[in-house]
Amino acid sequence: MKIRILDLGTVPWLRSQSIYHGVAYAMRPGDPDTITLMNPAEPYVCVGLHQEVEKEIDVDYCRANGIPIVRREVGGGAVYLDKNQLFWHAIFQREHLPFSIEEIYAKVLAGPVAAHRAMGIDAVHRPVNDLQVGGKKIGGTGAASIGGAFIVVGSLIFDFDYTLMARVLKVPSEKFRDKVYQTLNEYLTTIRRELGDRAPSWEEGKQLLIRHFAETLGAQVELGTITDREWRVIEELDGVLASDAWTYQRGGLVRAGVKIAEGVHVREAAHKAPGGLVRATVRERDGAIDDLVLSGDFFCYPPEAIPALERSLIGTPLEEEVLTTRIAAFLTERGARLPRVEAADLAKAITLTQTAT
Amino acid sequence: MTDVLGFDLPADLYYLVEKHVWARLEPDGLVRIGMTDVAQSLAKTIIVVRPKAVGKTLARAQSAGTVESGKWVGPVPAPVAGEIVAVNGEVVATPSLVNSDPYGKGWMMLIRPSSWESDAAQLATGEAGIATYRAFLEAQGISCER
Repeated sequence: MKIRILDLGTVPWLRSQSIYHGVAYAMRPGDPDTITLMNPAEPYVCVGLHQEVEKEIDVDYCRANGIPIVRREVGGGAVYLDKNQLFWHAIFQREHLPFSIEEIYAKVLAGPVAAHRAMGIDAVHRPVNDLQVGGKKIGGTGAASIGGAFIVVGSLIFDFDYTLMARVLKVPSEKFRDKVYQTLNEYLTTIRRELGDRAPSWEEGKQLLIRHFAETLGAQVELGTITDREWRVIEELDGVLASDAWTYQRGGLVRAGVKIAEGVHVREAAHKAPGGLVRATVRERDGAIDDLVLSGDFFCYPPEAIPALERSLIGTPLEEEVLTTRIAAFLTERGARLPRVEAADLAKAITLTQTAT
Repeated sequence: MTDVLGFDLPADLYYLVEKHVWARLEPDGLVRIGMTDVAQSLAKTIIVVRPKAVGKTLARAQSAGTVESGKWVGPVPAPVAGEIVAVNGEVVATPSLVNSDPYGKGWMMLIRPSSWESDAAQLATGEAGIATYRAFLEAQGISCER
C-alpha cells in the first residue's frame, strides 16, 4: 500500500479547507490514498456541515474582528482554528478502509496516537473519535464521504487559543461562556501544555506524524504534489466555500449545549418556578453533574446554601427523581428556605439542560 | 424480511448496491427512495437528514441529500434520475427513523422518475438482485454485527 503525502506548509485559511475537499472530490478509482498536512496562515471559525452559523457563532464578533467563518463538509460542531494546529486529512479510497466507522477511526487514529506517544504524551484513542491523554482531549476528529473518497480529518494541537474558542461561540449567557472557557481549560490539552520545553518543534511533530501514519497503516509514503486536475476542483471550491449562500444556509443539527470532549458537555436551561426563574448551567461528564451553577431571580435563605448545594450535587446522575430527592434532603438538612421554589423546580432546571437547545 | 449476512434486504426493492440506497416504484408512478439497512448500520444513529429541495432535478447517482450520524457525514445518492416531488418531513424531524425503519417511516423522498425503465434495469432487484447485493457485501467483507 502506498500513500501520497501532500506536505503543504502554511496555506491561506480558505485553502486549509478547499484543498482536502478538492482532493476528495477529484479522487477517481485507482487514484492514490492521500494524506494532506497543512496549517492556516490566518485564524478562522469552522462549522459542521449541518450547523446553522447564526445559532452557533457570534457572527458580529467574528466580523468586527476579521475572523472568517467557513462551513466544512464534515459533521460535528464549531471549532476555532489557527496556525498552531497542524491539520491532517486522510483521503482514502472507500474500499481501502474497514466497513464500520469504529474500525475506520481505530485504523486511522492509530498513527496520531503513536505520534503523540513518540513525543512522550500518553495518548489513547477514546472511541469513537477522540484522542485523549489523562482524560483530557488532545485532538478531535471527524469523518465524511466526499465524492468517491472517504475522509478522516484531525489535527496535532501544538497550542490552543482557549479564550477565542469560548469567545466566538454564541452562548445564552456570559456565565455559560465562562463555564465553556473553564471546561475547555480543564478538558482540552495541547502538546505544549503536556510537554512544555520538551515539546517537539513543528517539523519534528510533523515528521513523527508521517512516520507513524506509515507504520500503523502498513504503507509506504511518498511525498507528492497536487495535480492540475485537483487544482481545478480546489479553485472551484474556493468560490463555493467562501460564498455566503454556502456558509449561511439553514442547518439541521440541533444539539443541546457545547461539546468539549467525548462525554463532556456544557449546557444551560431555565425553568420558571412560582417563586422565580431558575437557571442551571451544567457541566456534564458521562451522564453525571461535573460542575453546576444555579442562578436566576429566586431567593434563598441563607444565600450561601446555593453554592453549597451546587458542590454537593457534583457526581449526581442527571436524573430528575434522584436530583429532587437529594436536593430536598440537602435543603432540609441545612434548614434552607426557597420561597415558592421546590426541590423539584431546581431538579427540573438541571435536567432540562439535557434537552434545551 | 430477507436476511442477507444479518442485514434486512427485501427482494421487492430496487438497489443501487454500491451506494446502499433503495428505490420502490409506487402505484402512481412515483419512486420512493431511502437508505438501506446496510447504510444505516454503517452510519449508526442518524442525527440529521437533510434532503434536497422539492422541485430539484437529480441525475442518477447524484446526491439527493446528506445525512449525519454522531461520527460521520455523507451524501445519499439517488438511485434514479428525476424531479423531487416530496420529502419525508417526518424523517427530517426524527432522523433516527432511518435506523429503526429504513424501508418504512425512514424513507427520504419521492421522485418523479425521468426514465424509470432504463434506470431500473441498472438496479439490483428480486432474488438475482439480492444475490448481487450479497456478493458485493461478501467481496467487501461486510456483515452485520448486531
